[in-house]
Amino acid sequence: MADPNKVDPIHQFQISNIVSFGDGGISFTNSALFMVLTVGVIAAYLILSTQKRSLVPNRVQLVSEMLYEFVAKMVSDSAGTAGMKFFPFVFSLFMFVLVGNMFGMVPLFFTFTSHIIVTFALAMLVFVVVIAYGFIKNGPKFLKLFVPSGVPGYVLPIVVPIEVVSFLSRPISLSVRLFANILAGHITLKVFAGFIVTLGGLGFLGWLGALLPLVMTVAITALEFLVAALQAYVFAVLTSMYINDAIHPSH
Amino acid sequence: MTEPQDPKRSRRKTDASPLTSDLAARIAKARGERQVAEGHPSPAGRGNMSAMNRGIRLGSEFVAAILVGWGIGYLLDQVLGTSPWLMLVMLMVGFAAGVLNVVRSAAQMNRAAPPPPASDTVPDDDDDAEG
Repeated sequence: MADPNKVDPIHQFQISNIVSFGDGGISFTNSALFMVLTVGVIAAYLILSTQKRSLVPNRVQLVSEMLYEFVAKMVSDSAGTAGMKFFPFVFSLFMFVLVGNMFGMVPLFFTFTSHIIVTFALAMLVFVVVIAYGFIKNGPKFLKLFVPSGVPGYVLPIVVPIEVVSFLSRPISLSVRLFANILAGHITLKVFAGFIVTLGGLGFLGWLGALLPLVMTVAITALEFLVAALQAYVFAVLTSMYINDAIHPSH
Repeated sequence: MTEPQDPKRSRRKTDASPLTSDLAARIAKARGERQVAEGHPSPAGRGNMSAMNRGIRLGSEFVAAILVGWGIGYLLDQVLGTSPWLMLVMLMVGFAAGVLNVVRSAAQMNRAAPPPPASDTVPDDDDDAEG
């Protein structure tokens, strides 16, 4: 950080304490600040926009309704009507990830979804909910998830561990996908934007050459908005699919 | 095409009534039609993006299973003192689970996006021989 001209694409992910509580290492970090902001923005927007409850919605209310219907359709498509009781859960996750990703696209804002511990915590939440609900709803029959129907008994010792590992890999792939997409996107963006500054130091020809990374930066910014929305969508779709497994454990 | 709806219809936000879900479907349909009408390169553009998305998804599922298999084997080895055998076995199991994950998600993607009816896919007997 000593050299201001040096491009440091990792610096944007640094966690810094804002308020520390005691010596236990617990503190309110910039990551936590943006999580609170995200939740605040979501709650404020949804509450304020639907306050009037007009029959013919205005634009602001329409966005809330479209978000609602989008997630409701997604949940009922993948998990059926029985899965609709998880709609609040999936909707909260979707909005949290979506708005968190979008916040990350604002310059100087911290992107908490670029930290694997955050996405892993979200994925573990889904995982634990799926397991808990699966056992509550189906009892021991939930374990049928690991025993595909129609498999002869002598291959079960091989198939069951494979199924168990496949099941355990879900939170990993769910969290890694979200975190890796956001992290890679932000680093790419920063690196290309850094090229502009570095090339600009070379004088006129440098500025001319800097046009190329400038175009790339604009294009990648657009792509990142797409990725931000898409990854929130993928996270929510997979969550509702896993919930479907908890409701109907047999393949 | 669609008959005009009564603006007085009740709109409850607490449940996805058939009326509103039908509305969403109609909006999606109209939006798709409009995209085609505007001459957007929608199949190419969207196909491209979802292809990247599909690739990332399959890749991460494959790698995650291998990592989990390795991790379980490693931990069991530490506990049982059988290093490195369980790690090797579980690595193979994780590999198999990764293939299983990929096959499952690919099958599910195919189900979600069937090829258009006019497309020239070669029908094989083995496609749906084992349900």
